[in-house]
Amino acid sequence: MNDMSLTAETRAGARPVKFAVNNLNFYYGGARALKNITFDLETNRVTAFIGPSGCGKSTLLRVLNRIYELYPAQRAEGEVLLDGKSILDPSVDVNLLRARVGMVFQKPTPFPMTIHDNIAFGIRLYEKLPKSELDGRIESALRSAALWSEVKDKLNASGLSLSGGQQQRLCIARTVAIKPEVILFDEPCSALDPLSTAKIEELIDELKASYTIAVVTHNMQQAARVSQYTAFMYLGELVEFDVTEKMFMAPKKKQTQDYITGRFG
Amino acid sequence: MNKIYARRRRVDILVKFLCAGSAAFGLIWLGLILFTLLSNGLGGLRASVFTQMTPPPGAVEGGLANALAGSLIMTLIAVAIGAPLGMLAATYLAEYGKHEKLSAVIRFVNDILLSAPSIIIGLFIYGAVVVPMGGFSALAGSLALAVIAIPIVVRTTEDMLYLVPTPLREASAALGMPRSLVIRRILYRAARTGIITGVLLATARAAGETAPLLFTVLSNQFWSLDLTTAMANLPVTINNFVQSPYAYWKQLAWTGALIITLAVLGLNIGARVLGAERSKT
Amino acid sequence: MNEHIVKSYDEDLQLVGRKIAEMGGIAEQMLNDAMDALSTFDADLAMRTVALDARLDLLQREIEGKCVVTIARRQPMAVDLRHLMAAIHIAADLERVGDMAKNIAKRSMKIVEDPRAPRAIVGLKRMSELASAQLKDVLDAYSRLDLERVAFVWKRDAEIDALEDIVFRDLLTFMMEDPRNISFCTHLLFCSKNIERIGDHATNIAETIHYLATGESMPLDRPKGAGSADGPAIADA
Repeated sequence: MNDMSLTAETRAGARPVKFAVNNLNFYYGGARALKNITFDLETNRVTAFIGPSGCGKSTLLRVLNRIYELYPAQRAEGEVLLDGKSILDPSVDVNLLRARVGMVFQKPTPFPMTIHDNIAFGIRLYEKLPKSELDGRIESALRSAALWSEVKDKLNASGLSLSGGQQQRLCIARTVAIKPEVILFDEPCSALDPLSTAKIEELIDELKASYTIAVVTHNMQQAARVSQYTAFMYLGELVEFDVTEKMFMAPKKKQTQDYITGRFG
Repeated sequence: MNKIYARRRRVDILVKFLCAGSAAFGLIWLGLILFTLLSNGLGGLRASVFTQMTPPPGAVEGGLANALAGSLIMTLIAVAIGAPLGMLAATYLAEYGKHEKLSAVIRFVNDILLSAPSIIIGLFIYGAVVVPMGGFSALAGSLALAVIAIPIVVRTTEDMLYLVPTPLREASAALGMPRSLVIRRILYRAARTGIITGVLLATARAAGETAPLLFTVLSNQFWSLDLTTAMANLPVTINNFVQSPYAYWKQLAWTGALIITLAVLGLNIGARVLGAERSKT
Repeated sequence: MNEHIVKSYDEDLQLVGRKIAEMGGIAEQMLNDAMDALSTFDADLAMRTVALDARLDLLQREIEGKCVVTIARRQPMAVDLRHLMAAIHIAADLERVGDMAKNIAKRSMKIVEDPRAPRAIVGLKRMSELASAQLKDVLDAYSRLDLERVAFVWKRDAEIDALEDIVFRDLLTFMMEDPRNISFCTHLLFCSKNIERIGDHATNIAETIHYLATGESMPLDRPKGAGSADGPAIADA
């Protein structure tokens, strides 16, 4: 193996597994959208999921916080372990699971309330804090989303008054504020301009020190930039999963190679 | 090529003319109605209309105070009953029972109710409330108006909830919010102006209905705030006065019609303004 | 390999490949001509050989420029990125081969003034034939991504190293026999060094092709000839 091309991060050896997915199958009614997916998410690492539209990468992400359960006729089969404990078990409380596994969506989704309340809302779901402490938490959440300096003077403005990139960072702050362990990003930059995209990418890179991160993206360069591990999915199957450098310099599977070099017909 | 284009241009102009003409045709009638109301009703519009009771036959003075108060009370009660019921029903349709067969049935029935002749609703309340209670009452009237308001609130609230983007629901759920909290704290807030618009429209509709009241409250010559007895109200009063031979009653009927039209118009415009504000954000 | 969805991307990559092939042809010709000039004391041929180097330098710049622009415009990944990186490396190697050949040609012009012991050139000739074969093989391997031939070239370099060792000893002997040979033989010594370097560049190219085809580097420890990596066994001298 050509280990010299790896960064220190990916060469340092395996970290503890946060999410272990074994033989996961997913169905939209009768249609099988995920086929025998098996992989691990390492702690404090960014794992990117790439693949053409409809390959199942978003579906896979939506299993990890069971958000798919909002819709009937969608069901997952197989084993998904978070810190070794099954999350698909019906006895697991989905809301507590989602508090541990946060999610940021494609389009920014600020709540129709002030910037302050957007973040306070999530915190209040789980904790009853005195005002000063709450404000401190809000500040630190906004700081970790690199948004504090831009909004500190207008915390009482509507979250909807921010620009797209700011809204997306507000959503990240909102997610971070409830102290999850894992953050799922579902195409977080596809609605943003390149500068806002760069800020989000920088943020993802910083966040990985404290969280385990999974990113679904259509943008291969983005996957190459932000992730330590990359998974390529096609037609519901996990075709290849490897260290990002290897995936983009020398993928093993022809399908992966064709996709990332733009040879898909 | 040019021929084809010239033909297309002619058709284009023709279609434009037909559309504009139809719009103008509709507007002309609306204009005529407003003009007739204003010319006939404006003359009788003075302070006494709002302060004096409906006059006995043949009298040459008196107002509509009791009818106005009655209409106001009954409409408010109708909305107070109908709006929450309608909102909750719409919430079930749009959120909880979105994919259930039952919702499709409810939606269909609601649409029928929406377009049902109001006289039938009056008859229903007559049979269901007036007869068992042994007489006309303001309460029965309020219920009839509520039945009219409910389908409107259901329909608009459901539509407004559908307009809330799905990612907002998912983002709320992804923070670990239970569903009822998502609905109450996020979705209602996001759809707020739309829902208020719907309630205003329902209010306007209920305020102007006559037929259901004929069978449920009838009317009352005198001031009465007792919900269990007949109560004066504007639509039925107009209906009675305009058919009478007395000139002053006719004049009052026109004035009442003008007041009710302006009120409904005001509510509609208010709803529009709110709607426009909503689409801005 | 399938074609790219974007056709002009294929054209960019093909253009780079063609230019590498052209450079390879010129480098090969320069080596052969330089050796012919040396062995036949043909100053004209030597001058023409020196003149060819300019074309080689120009091509290298064109390839580098094309690769950089393609990387900037298309953000190539995987095999495409390796293809462009390989082209940059191979072009640099071939440009160096041209420099070596030019150096041999220049030395051949110098020894024309005082030609001695032509038989000393025989060993050198064998070396250069081998180096030329290495170049040809490695360029064939490049055009077909032939890993077997790459491995063959990579291993065969040891033979050039061994030959260099023999040539070195021969030239030393000539110089010791007659000090008047020293100037002549020193030129030849440098020529042998140049040919040995050309062999090294051929193996570099082989390694680059291996990376291009597989995405993985070849082992660092290449089989060596009798001498060390630093050249012939100087301690014996």
